[in-house]
Formats: sequence, structure tokens, C-alpha cells
Amino acid sequence: MLSVKNIKKSYAGVAALRGVDIDLDVGLTAIVGDNGAGKSTLMKILSGVVRPDEGEIVIDGSPVTLDSPTRARSLGIESLYQDLALADTLDVASNVFLGRELVKRWAGFIHTLDDKAMRRAAAETLKAVGIGIPDVKLPVRQLSGGQRQAVALARAMYFSAQVILLDEPTAALGPKETAAFTRVVREFVERRTTVCMVTHNLPQVMELADRIVVMRAGRVVATMNVSDVTEEQLLGLMVGSAAAV
Amino acid sequence: MTSVRERVRRGSSSSMTRDLLSASLRGRLPVVLVLVLMIIVFGITGQGFFTNISFQNITSSTSLFLLIALGETFVMISGGIDISLASNLAFSALTAGILMTKMYHGHGNGALIVIAVGVITTIVGSLIGMINGLIISLLKISPLIVTLGSWGAFFGLAEWLSVKYPIGTLPPASFTFGNDGPVVAWIVWLTILCVLIFAFVLARTRFGRYIFAIGANREAVVRAGVPVRRFTVYLYVISGLMAGLAGFISTCDFQTASSETGSSYLLIAIAAVVIGGTPLSGGEGSILGTVVGALIISVLENGFVLLGINTFMQLVAVGAATVLAVYFDQVQGRMRIRAIAMGAQGETSE
Repeated sequence: MLSVKNIKKSYAGVAALRGVDIDLDVGLTAIVGDNGAGKSTLMKILSGVVRPDEGEIVIDGSPVTLDSPTRARSLGIESLYQDLALADTLDVASNVFLGRELVKRWAGFIHTLDDKAMRRAAAETLKAVGIGIPDVKLPVRQLSGGQRQAVALARAMYFSAQVILLDEPTAALGPKETAAFTRVVREFVERRTTVCMVTHNLPQVMELADRIVVMRAGRVVATMNVSDVTEEQLLGLMVGSAAAV
Repeated sequence: MTSVRERVRRGSSSSMTRDLLSASLRGRLPVVLVLVLMIIVFGITGQGFFTNISFQNITSSTSLFLLIALGETFVMISGGIDISLASNLAFSALTAGILMTKMYHGHGNGALIVIAVGVITTIVGSLIGMINGLIISLLKISPLIVTLGSWGAFFGLAEWLSVKYPIGTLPPASFTFGNDGPVVAWIVWLTILCVLIFAFVLARTRFGRYIFAIGANREAVVRAGVPVRRFTVYLYVISGLMAGLAGFISTCDFQTASSETGSSYLLIAIAAVVIGGTPLSGGEGSILGTVVGALIISVLENGFVLLGINTFMQLVAVGAATVLAVYFDQVQGRMRIRAIAMGAQGETSE
């Protein structure tokens, strides 16, 4: 369980988060809200890219400091960014293992990349998540949006992430790719992973989420189970025309 | 999930040499063909192109700018550029010349002096690179501007050095190092060693992988938790180190140095890198490509000499070849984008 408590963050005097409390449990929590609600800032804080001005982050009861993406990863938090954060000219396997390459050791101090092992692992992981990429030696720039998304997901899968942060994961995907993506996310949830997804896609929220957190102007205005709310009510909460449930 | 990880840990045999070669050759075939074609053309038309002296000329003159082209290849794959190389080389060459003049008093061949000065000069070059790297990564100023600034600064300092401390008699060992050696000059062997080390680092190490990744998407590498700033400093230190080494070698080779030493090498080195297939945008490139690019330039220069074409025209040709290489690269890039767009269209229309 990952909890954020009273998180505040301002950029040059403009408050992006004004004291946010959210509990993320196993399953999928969708964070919805209008533009500028502070969703992306919250995701950046959870992935260690941005540090909060105030507040506390607690994982399984113990407070943690997420001062870098490496730290977040070492605590089992994996992020899929809106812009995918892939190195286009590198191949699929290199991207899955970027920053955590498998190496072979020679004479104790020379470390060489074990590309063979990385390629095999990447291929097996992609196969396990059921996403077809013809060849893990392909540069990522030759892949479609959905395949690129799969590379990022394979990263999370391979490194056994406990918490997965998804920021507008299907914004750039076609219907077929979105369906494939949805299947993989379900797989993660079945493996008892904590998935947190920021999105504007309300039908997707209703379909996938277990819990919904509504944010507006840097605050959490509602938290509820997906069964307790309709899409219309959700929309009302997002734009502020309905009272909290 | 762990099982996938466990399974792949097992059994991974090495095919390093084959991998290295195929990785380096990928997409470089056209450049290699150009080189072969040029050798054939000059071999037929130029009198004495295949003689020993011509071979010595090509390998020695290639060595000097290939050394700085190696460092530049790393920097350019990472999406940066180092144009301070020319004056770093001159400054280092003068440092080497002045130090050897001061230390050598006519006793013996001065081999120890040459080695010591070689080490010192390389350190001087590295320090200049470190200044570039620190400014670029800490102050986040464009590499073009930073290295342009340091190019000017060290050109000025080199001029000051050359006026203040004239270069006299250098140790005989320095001449031997610059001009003699088994089959080819020692400096050529040193260059071959450097080529192998650079190729290995680029293709087989984490650092090499991050050079590509930084050039492709710097932000992605930062988010992957890689200390990008530190690696950026390393890159410019390496580039400076190679300029220092080239400066030292140049002094040994020509037995003198001036603030103009290597002034045309910057263009030639960048030309070698670009002709060798490293785009200015970074993210791609190879050491083999740079070596082939350097050889193309050398063969071109030697061929021009043999054909009796005015030496000034050589730089004109190198400049034109560089622009052409970049143009072809862009055309290729556009074709790739079109191919992907068409592929995506096919997918949605299914």
C-alpha cells in the first residue's frame, strides 16, 4: 500500500498541489480531473522526478523519500510517461533494460553488456504479456505507438514492479492497441500490482478502475469505488458542477 | 515474474567479435563502398598511389585527425559537439613542444622525457575537456557555444605561448615516435589501439550504451536513473584527452608546433564523423564509420596530390563531401519517417 499524505507542490509561486491525500491499494486506482488539476505533478512526485514541497509518502507503513527516479524504482515503483521516455535509436531490448543493463564480468572489473541475455529476456517478457513485437533488435522508432507502450510495460513487468504509474497511457493509441494495452493492465492487476492511472478517458476508467480519485485545482475532491458512481456523475465532479459523493 | 528473470540469466554464450562487427557494419556499407571505389579510381589514375610512401602518408596523416575524430564521435553520438578541439590540439602541441625543449639538454635520445611529456600533455588536453564538460552539464549551456568559447580562449592562450616560449631542439626519441615504427609509424599503432578501445567501449559497455541513449533521448536516460551529467563530463574529458594526445603526436611528427597546428583538423575530424554516418542530431553512429570516413578523406587528399590538383581544393572537397553526407542522411531520415507513417496507416486500416 502506497499512501501520500498532505502533499504540496508549487511552481514559481503557483500551487499545483494544495495538500493531497491518497491511498493506493492493490488494484487499479484511476486519477481523473480537468487540465491543471495536478494529476501529472502527483505522478511525477511518485516517480521521483519531482520532489514535493511538503508532505509524506508512506509505503507499507514506513515513510520514504522519493528523491530520484532510481530511488523510486528501487522501491518497486515503475512509471510509464506520457511521452514514453524511450530512446528511439536504441533497440527494444536496450530500452527495456535502460539504466539496468545485464552485464558479464571479466577479470572482476571489466563489465560488458550481455546483449544476448537482454534480448532473450525482453522477447520472453513481451511474449508473456502477449504483445507482438517482431524482433527485439528493432530500433524503437520503427515501432507503432502500441508497441512502444508495450516496451515500457515490459520494463515494469520484467523488474517485478509493485506499483505502476500510468500517465495518459492510451492517449496516442488506436482502438486495437488500446484493447491490447487494457489486457496487459488487467494482467498486472491480477498479479496484485498496485496500478495508478491518470487519464481523461472516462469510459476506460469505468471499464478498468477499481477506485476513482477525482482531483480539481490541486486538491482531491472525491474518492470512491467505481461501482458507486456513473460516468455523468464523474464528469460533474471533475468540472465542479456536482458535490462530492 | 521472477521466473522470467531467472530463466534468462542462464546460459549466455559470447559471440562478441561477431556482434561487434555486425553492429559496426550495419548501415555503413555504402560508405565502405565509396572508400573502395575511391581507392580503385586513384589506384588507376594516380601514379604511384599503391607505393609504400603513399601508404605511410595516408596512415600517418589519418592518425592525427582520426584520434580527435574518435573523441568527437562519442560527443556527437551523445548529441553534443566539441569545436574546441582545434585550439586544444594547438595548445597541447605547444605545451608538448615547450616542455620537451625545456627538459631536453642533448643527453641521449630523451625517451623518458618524451613519455613523461606525452602523459602531461594528455592530462592538459583532458583538463580543457573537463572545463567544457563541467560548464555544459552544470550550467546547461549549449555545447556549441561553450566549446566555441573555449576554442577562442585556448587559441589566444596558444598564441601567447608560441610567442613567449620558442620551441627548440626536441629529443630524438620524439622523432622516432612520430615517424618510425614497424611497418607503419608508432603513432599509427597507437591510433589503431585507440580505435579498438573506442569501438569496444561504444559497442560493449554500459557507458557506450548511454552515449547512444543520451543522444536519442536525454530525458529518458535521466529518468532511467543514469547519472547523465557525470557521463556528459566524461565525454568532453575523453574528447579533450584525444585532442591532447593528437597535439603531442603532432609535435613529435612535425618536430615543431604553433598556434595554427591542426587548425584544419576540426573540419576534417567532424567531416570524418559525419561522412561515417553519425548524424548531428546524435543517437546513432559507429567507430568503424568514423574510421572509414577518415580514410575516405585521406585517400581523397592523397589522390588529389598524386593527380596534381591544387592542395587548397582538398579542403573544398572535404567541406563539400561533409555537406553532401549530411544531406543524404536527412533524405534517409525522411524516407524512414515516411515508411513508419505508411506502416501505421496499414495497421489502422486493418
